[in-house]
Amino acid sequence: MKLVVGISDMKVSNQADDVLITYSLGSCIGVVIWDPVAKVGGLLHYMLPDSSLDKEKAEAKPFMFADSGIPLLFKEAYKFGGAKNRLIVKVVGGSQIMDNAGIFNIGKRNHAVLRKMFWKNNIMIAKEDVGGTGNRTVSLEIGTGITRLKVSGRGEFEL
Amino acid sequence: MSRIDEILNLVKHVQPFPKVVQRVMEMLDNPETNVKDLAEVIQYDQVITANVLKICNASYFGLPRKVSSLNEALVIVGHNTLKDIIVTSSSARFYKGAVGEGYKLEQGELWKHSVAVGILAKHMVKHIKEVDPGAAYTVGLLHDIGKRFLSTFVADDFKQIMIKVVRDQCSFVEAEKELLGVSHAELGGMILKKWEFPEEMQLAVLQHHDPDALKKGPLTALVSLSNALVISMGIGVGADGLATKMQGEGLKRFGITPMELDLCMANLLGDMEQAQELFHI
Repeated sequence: MKLVVGISDMKVSNQADDVLITYSLGSCIGVVIWDPVAKVGGLLHYMLPDSSLDKEKAEAKPFMFADSGIPLLFKEAYKFGGAKNRLIVKVVGGSQIMDNAGIFNIGKRNHAVLRKMFWKNNIMIAKEDVGGTGNRTVSLEIGTGITRLKVSGRGEFEL
Repeated sequence: MSRIDEILNLVKHVQPFPKVVQRVMEMLDNPETNVKDLAEVIQYDQVITANVLKICNASYFGLPRKVSSLNEALVIVGHNTLKDIIVTSSSARFYKGAVGEGYKLEQGELWKHSVAVGILAKHMVKHIKEVDPGAAYTVGLLHDIGKRFLSTFVADDFKQIMIKVVRDQCSFVEAEKELLGVSHAELGGMILKKWEFPEEMQLAVLQHHDPDALKKGPLTALVSLSNALVISMGIGVGADGLATKMQGEGLKRFGITPMELDLCMANLLGDMEQAQELFHI
């Protein structure tokens, strides 16, 4: 079954025929995780770096922010039998509009927070396709772990 | 006929914007207008009448019984909501079908993007105070109207446009302008002129991809800023992606901080959910 992950949303599955997909990542970031042994996968689509911006919102929509959404993605995968040392992590998105002043660097900030969190928690990124001005769609096949990425101007390919 | 003439010809023959809009807006500005007068004018537009009733009966207003008369519905929804309903229903008819296909937008996505920019622009009026919220919302809904008319031409030259964007690191509108002779923003400005919208609104549509938009008139600045944020969020964004230029230092003039921009984006998601309920986007 195709499970669509919206903006500020997350889905985890262990059903082999499920495909998780999120459309139109601009400055937002998509985090894909997959455990090849437990055959568990998850996809998070977060929009902003820091939940301290609005505590109430972070409580209601924790997947909106990197710092509240990423830990929940991993915890949910653990519930389905995923193990931290086996999880293959892929990161996509974080584009930004062309602004020399860097005011609209939401993508860069989104990415920086993720790198910092992963570094602190000893999580390696296996594959990454981040930045630029392209619009991205990413999908994960739960049964095989195949991650497909579509980027405007670059076509569709496996990540 | 040359291709540019063919494109401009489309503008010449564009279907008119519903006249009822301007008439009702004028009436709402007049404190002596009563509900009966309004209903008299609105009832002739079936789409607007149906939408007023539908929205009035939506769970948002939490009415204990179904309202079926336009007069009664007009009392319930209030002037500001009525303005939104009228502009929204009048604009929606121009976004039906595969209008954004050339930009690789699925059906309904160009409309969703437009509504998002409209809602965000209306809320950002608190940061850019010289702008009327009604004008902000309307320009938000119509800023990309040029895409509807340029879409098939973009589809014809799609490969060359994308190559230019990737190779020359130019923005999508710059590539449109160079390869097709006119950009969707220019075309949109012409359409608003044809529809006799105020000059300030025509300009805001025309300039919404101008890299210096934040230094221009307040309505232009507001709409281009809202558009940049909605594009960053990826709402209704096609092959043009984030390939648009904007000089961010222009924001200083309004004293808006990056944190306030983040907050606006965070709030927009909830507002979109509400709009989806009300307008069935």
